[in-house]
Amino acid sequence: MLKSKTFVKKTRGGRVMKIVREHYLRDDIWCGSEACDQCRQESTVLQREACIESNLCSFSHYLVPDTNVVLHQIDVLEDPVICNVVILQTVLQEVRHRSAPVYKRLKDLIHEEERHFYTFTNEHHRETFIEREPGESANDRNDRAIRVAAKWYSEHLAKPDDPKLVLLTNDVANKQKAQESGLLVYKFEEYVKGLIANPELVDRLALSNDDKNDIASSRVLFPEHLPLSRIQAGIKSGSFLQGTFKASRDNYLEAKVFIQKDEEDGTEVLIQGLQHLNRAVHQDVVAVQLLPRSQWAAPSSVMLQDVGSAKDDTTTEEEEQEEDALISCGGDVDRKPTGKIVGIIKRNWRPFCGMLNISQIKESTRHLFTPADRCIPRIRIETRQASTLAGQRIMVAIDGWPKDSRYPNGHFVRTLGVAGEKETEEEVLLLEHDVPHQAFSQAVLSFLPKMPWSIKPEDIVGREDLRHLTVCSVDPPGCTDIDDALHCRELANGNFEVGVHIADVTHFIRPGNALDKEAANRGTTVYLCGKRIDMVPELLSSNLCSLRSNVDRLSFSSIWEMNQKAEVVKTRFTKSVINSKASLTYAEAQMRIDDTGKNDDITKSLRGLNKLAKILKKRRIEKGALTLSSLEVRFHMDSETHDPIELQTKELMETNSMVEEFMLLANISVAQKIYDEFAECALLRKHPAPPPSNYDILLKAAKSKDVLLRTDSAKALADSLEAANVDGFAYFNTLLRILATRCMMQAVYFCSGMDNDFHHYGLASPIYTHFTSPIRRYADIIVHRLLAVAIGADSTYPDLTDKHKQSALCTNLNYRHKMSQYAQRASVAFHTQLFFKSRGVLSEEGFVLFVRKNAIIVLIPKFGLEGTVFFDGKDKSGLNLVFDEEYPSLTVERHTFRIFDRVKVTVSLDDSNIQHQKIRMALTEPVIPGVSVSATAGETQNKKPRLDS
Amino acid sequence: MATVQVSEAEKVYILHGIRDDLRVDGRGCEDYRHMEIETDVVSNTDGSAKVSLGHTAVLVGIKAEIGKPRPMAPNEGYLEFFVDCSANATPEFEGRGGEELGKELSNTLYKVFNNKHSVDLKKLCISKGEHCWVLYVDVLLLQCDGNLYDAMSVAIKAALFSTKIPKVHISNDEEGGKEIELSDDPFDCMRLDVENVPCIVTLCKVGHRHVVDATLQEKACSVASLIISVTHKGTVTCVRKMGGGSLDPESIFEMTETGKRVGKALHVPLMKLLQQEESLGTRQKVGFLG
Repeated sequence: MLKSKTFVKKTRGGRVMKIVREHYLRDDIWCGSEACDQCRQESTVLQREACIESNLCSFSHYLVPDTNVVLHQIDVLEDPVICNVVILQTVLQEVRHRSAPVYKRLKDLIHEEERHFYTFTNEHHRETFIEREPGESANDRNDRAIRVAAKWYSEHLAKPDDPKLVLLTNDVANKQKAQESGLLVYKFEEYVKGLIANPELVDRLALSNDDKNDIASSRVLFPEHLPLSRIQAGIKSGSFLQGTFKASRDNYLEAKVFIQKDEEDGTEVLIQGLQHLNRAVHQDVVAVQLLPRSQWAAPSSVMLQDVGSAKDDTTTEEEEQEEDALISCGGDVDRKPTGKIVGIIKRNWRPFCGMLNISQIKESTRHLFTPADRCIPRIRIETRQASTLAGQRIMVAIDGWPKDSRYPNGHFVRTLGVAGEKETEEEVLLLEHDVPHQAFSQAVLSFLPKMPWSIKPEDIVGREDLRHLTVCSVDPPGCTDIDDALHCRELANGNFEVGVHIADVTHFIRPGNALDKEAANRGTTVYLCGKRIDMVPELLSSNLCSLRSNVDRLSFSSIWEMNQKAEVVKTRFTKSVINSKASLTYAEAQMRIDDTGKNDDITKSLRGLNKLAKILKKRRIEKGALTLSSLEVRFHMDSETHDPIELQTKELMETNSMVEEFMLLANISVAQKIYDEFAECALLRKHPAPPPSNYDILLKAAKSKDVLLRTDSAKALADSLEAANVDGFAYFNTLLRILATRCMMQAVYFCSGMDNDFHHYGLASPIYTHFTSPIRRYADIIVHRLLAVAIGADSTYPDLTDKHKQSALCTNLNYRHKMSQYAQRASVAFHTQLFFKSRGVLSEEGFVLFVRKNAIIVLIPKFGLEGTVFFDGKDKSGLNLVFDEEYPSLTVERHTFRIFDRVKVTVSLDDSNIQHQKIRMALTEPVIPGVSVSATAGETQNKKPRLDS
Repeated sequence: MATVQVSEAEKVYILHGIRDDLRVDGRGCEDYRHMEIETDVVSNTDGSAKVSLGHTAVLVGIKAEIGKPRPMAPNEGYLEFFVDCSANATPEFEGRGGEELGKELSNTLYKVFNNKHSVDLKKLCISKGEHCWVLYVDVLLLQCDGNLYDAMSVAIKAALFSTKIPKVHISNDEEGGKEIELSDDPFDCMRLDVENVPCIVTLCKVGHRHVVDATLQEKACSVASLIISVTHKGTVTCVRKMGGGSLDPESIFEMTETGKRVGKALHVPLMKLLQQEESLGTRQKVGFLG
């Protein structure tokens, strides 16, 4: 039977189109129930005995949720208790239309066999299809379609012992109409509350509209968001700007909106104050209206953390003061375009990890939830199991943020485990940094080579056999994913032959299969303290692709002929087979080089490499490559408990830089080669020169010690950094380099066809890419493929030479790379906390790294640890603080703190707030009354503040 | 134009018959042939009608699109006509054969229908000087058996009657920008008042008399014809002489009078029929697969 669907649509060009689609109805759509004997279906999904233990429905029943129930309560529907659910096509289509993530989750649910979710294509069923009637809105029509389908089901399964149909809806009018037509219908809350033995499910209920009303006070706290049509018109006319909202980590009353425009580079708009922030949440796409120039403000340098209570008695005096402090600050020079949020274009809410603040009022079911990510505001949730959830890391999803509520409303999703425990915290930091860390799926694993694996004759076709060479690898201790190995031998003509051999991962990962897609999505291997989240399955990363010693491995080699002055005479690339003779650590390699008694092949090869590397490094630095510094710490782990037992800053040896030099050389050679061959689609890596303003802080800091730095070029910076020394302050240079590192831009991957600035600032190289770590970086895999095509060792495929696809890939790789770095840092921070937990209070010497308006940031070189010493707060009010921005200094009472000042602090773990355990630093020297604490009990309070030398 | 060859004897026979008010197919001089009207036949138009008159068959589809008003009439919408002479109608139309005729027909239709007296053009205006509805009237000749004008005019009137234009309203934002908003309900639409839409009556001078709705044979006997567009009140809105022969003022006057009478009588059953069809509601759709 044919029906046609007619609707009118406005096109982008402002035209109105009438669209007519033919819609065929059929009578061979079955009900999917085991209990049915009329339908001639081959297999059934819904069970005959469909029992969910419930007070409301003690009989066997199927659930039919409506669209809003699915959209808002997907968290509950995902619970294994809920099964035998009929998902109507109407619902599925509407969900797909309204929310892609929920749609995906619903589809996953439907595919789970043991859940018995059945999709009934009611829109194509002759008896359940309905046409929209005059005067009926689209939603009403869909509601009616759902009712008609539910009715059909209940009439279809009419035998007394057949399962009954239960319609779930939160819409009062819909419920009433359903009841009138004789359907069994419940509100979703009613039904869930009636479930026996699953009281915790109630917590996962998203707050529906009528619930919100009694939570929120009558006071309207925020301006109304504009409707989307107004926003779009405003953006078109230029009165509003569209951008991504980025909340400030340090100050909950401040945020930035990054405006994306097609051609120009993005600009930033500052947003200050709760009203102007207007319920935008980190990462939302928002519409901003600029304020008049007279109201522009400078970003504040105050650190503020939201401490408000769960109630809505907002704008307490305290907050007003905070807002005042915020507005009044900033000189005219630093004023930035400031705006206010007028509407939300797209919410980017995800489930957030964090912890519950138990409400002080007993028996209260409403609690505030503090997300682990400080950019996210606190969320109010309702739960009856607060006592069980206390001290646990949980996940919470935001449901909405009404204009009369101080906090967004949300609901509990799941618990991750006890806070502070290693597994829980690791899970949290992986989730928070969006690191895909699930086990590899069967589909992915199916593309792995079958074990036992060995190199077959056909694998060697087209490969150079380099197994006779004295190849060895040098890596950090405990490294199992060895992706590079080196060799060096003297040639008859006095030149050296140097080879860098990289694991041939692309031999195993073929383009386009599930394994390749998974790796492309993961983008990089993430190294946490004591844990590694692999980009490719372990079989490859730690075995087949790992260039372990004394086994034959496939590799991709870059081989140079160099003269005694380390000048490259000849370069060639080839796929090869190698057999590494030794897997050394940096220390072992260093010992071999230093041990004059040793004279075997490996040692000779190492010495040759070392010698050449030194020349290469010198030449590179002469060209203006920067040697920057950032403190990296290593934990010595207890082998049993995996707890950190010792903290050590990473030591750099000659061999580190030896390996690094050759990797750089390989990367640069390969970059040039693939760019020559594929000018439009070479995947390269660039490091843009930072804008001069980035150096302000560094220059100011250096000036305070009467050191003049030049930042006009990388070379000038490198040279002046080299020369920057202060007598009696040996650590000064390192500190400067640490500061300089923070002025730098992120290096990024890009596609050569989409950009024309290739320069790598830090390495002072005109072109650069990543080639040397295909096991742990996806970019290298693409580079390998490009190179393989360039030398004719492998065939190409369409996506490889599509610059737009490659550009999209680069975006993902850059994002994953950034997130993995954040995750890594977070992991180090967590382990530092664990370390200090067992140490108690330590007293250490440190340096002032930054000066803020109300705090100083102190770096303790010994632990590579940074912490903040606040001069305001609850217990330290009334201090006289004078902040001088020009010459960054902060005068507290009579003592002035400047950058690089030497201070003494006590370090301890502050676990008073278990949500955010942090390292607490307290000042012991200089002594300022009311601020500093005594390091030992005996110390006197009135010791003169020691002014810095 | 499709023509038939008529022998001298046939001609005399037809002429004599008409003289005695008895035409070859038994009609009187002022009678139409059997007419069939069907509206809403093409689902992806906003209004459509199919009319068959004897063996003449015409399909009219109307598409409403948003356009800019003409500078001379900033607060009015307008109609555009296009006549497609399908080669289905007659082999002569093949290739570009029908182009000239189509042009001529559409020009005449434009003159007859695109004025504010026939269609309420002001109603088609959305915002003055900026947006208005343009009704694209596409006429498809399916079969030619004489009297194209009358059949087309009836079909256009019927199609205009069935036209449903989606309701739009203009929203103003504070910056003065205007945005067209479309009603969400597909049933929420605007109808046109077709009461004043004229019908065309073609009168063929055959011998000393004139006939309406001439067949091709009769046309072949005629030297000149007059097309008159008449409203339901009997007002003549347009007169045009076609054909190579001459007409004396006396007979033009006579023919106009006849045209007025016949046209007036045509409107009443047409409107009745259209309303009747409308009240029947939507038909069951029959698809390709039945």
